[in-house]
Amino acid sequence: MKNLTIRNLSKTYFDPYAGTNVTAVHDVSLNVGQGEFVCIVGPSGCGKTTILNMIAGFIPHTGGEILVGGRPVKGPGPDRGVVFQSFALFPWRTVLENVAFGPKMRGVRKAEREKIAHEYLALAKLTEAAGRYPAELSGGMQQRVGVVRALANEPDVLLMDEPFASVDAQTRMTLQEELTRIWQEKRPTVIFITHDVAEAVFLANRVIALSKGRVLEEIDVDLPRPRSWDSLNDDARFKELSGRVRQLVRSA
Amino acid sequence: MKQFLLKFWGHCVRLTARWPSIGSIAPFIPVIAAWWIVTELQTFPRVFLPGPAEVVRSFGSLVYMGILPAYLQDSIVRLAVGAFWGIALGIPLGILVGLSQRARTALWPLLLFFQAIGDIAWLPILVIWFGYGLTTITVVIVYTVIFPVVLNTVLGVRSIPITLHRAAQSLGASRIRMLWEVVLPGALPNIVTGLRNGLGYGWRALIATEIIVGTSGIGFLMFDARRSGSVVEILLGMIILGILWYIVDSWILAPIERATGQRWGLVTR
Repeated sequence: MKNLTIRNLSKTYFDPYAGTNVTAVHDVSLNVGQGEFVCIVGPSGCGKTTILNMIAGFIPHTGGEILVGGRPVKGPGPDRGVVFQSFALFPWRTVLENVAFGPKMRGVRKAEREKIAHEYLALAKLTEAAGRYPAELSGGMQQRVGVVRALANEPDVLLMDEPFASVDAQTRMTLQEELTRIWQEKRPTVIFITHDVAEAVFLANRVIALSKGRVLEEIDVDLPRPRSWDSLNDDARFKELSGRVRQLVRSA
Repeated sequence: MKQFLLKFWGHCVRLTARWPSIGSIAPFIPVIAAWWIVTELQTFPRVFLPGPAEVVRSFGSLVYMGILPAYLQDSIVRLAVGAFWGIALGIPLGILVGLSQRARTALWPLLLFFQAIGDIAWLPILVIWFGYGLTTITVVIVYTVIFPVVLNTVLGVRSIPITLHRAAQSLGASRIRMLWEVVLPGALPNIVTGLRNGLGYGWRALIATEIIVGTSGIGFLMFDARRSGSVVEILLGMIILGILWYIVDSWILAPIERATGQRWGLVTR
């Protein structure tokens, strides 16, 4: 895992309907240290997914630079693993084959990559589902596969784009707790995009509040780990931090 | 009486559960029965509409003389050769047009133009170019098969969610591997649909072509029978066409569909 540096990142595109240039991301700078968990939180349309897509290399940026481990981002690559809101599992591959996909592309032998995949499936308590197809799983289980598929490829940075937005509230809480547990065990560098303030504070070491394509403020989250909803729900510090972030995001 | 009917019904249910193919034959029983009754009633002269028994007898004698097996083989081989080339050319072309905006701009108008010139419409010029032979027949079948395959492949390729491309790219897949790992399996359910349509059209084109330029085959058998006024053989030819397509569909195409799109949850059952 390596660190991620973003300097004066911006994205401007031409809107053919309005006939004008639109700036979606405005001069964003950000440093994410190795093993850090950073959440970018903001309302829809604030440019957070655009930032993530630029870091992933899915869309080009129009200004500034993105460096992963000192190397500029030029397009998608296995050094940046991505977890999608829509899961994006390969429907024609079993759960095991999905998780083994990254190692397979690296040229890891079948026996070896299946061993890796089994390890990661065990980490997410998915051992039972190894031979099933994604369509046979619940949304929560599909996203667990999505997370370990990205992790099994051992990326420098793990990019997560509102990964829990399309599962039900109860499952979401379980997934959040599991993610913090897995993060503590593997310590990947994570950038997590969400519009859910409580989720951001629960997961992150640092929360970046974003609005209209600009960074409003960075807030360090000093809550102890391991974190669980049972202990944090009534935690005064958690409430204080979430209150502050919520105020920032709403006032802008 | 009620008891007997219930018992009979139960027996039928058990039988079809044990041999599912019986269930697919059952719908034909009333059709054959109606045909038999109409011919027995002598509504039409027997020369114009022979009964099931005569058709079966003609089937027996044509098999005995070796004509039917030979013609059947000719037709099936022609369809297989044509279908092979149609698929081998159609799928790569469909993927190219589906993936590349430039290829689409260049080729789409051509595809639509040539699709409009139906397969049979090519026959006059093909006969002048290639004569009354296998080449002409093959070209017509390839021509017929290729369009549904290409158009459905394009549709399949374009309907793959962009997130699947992105997921594969950020897991380290190269462009070449993307073809095999994402594009081809993602488009497969549509490709099978294209094949189903293509083979269906190809089958009809084959019969039409055999009627016009053939010297053997099921289409030729039927046309030859018309010349000699044998309605029995014409009916036999028609029935064989239906049965053959049924076999191709339920033994080849349907199992492929079950093993791919349906298994992956891409097609709802």
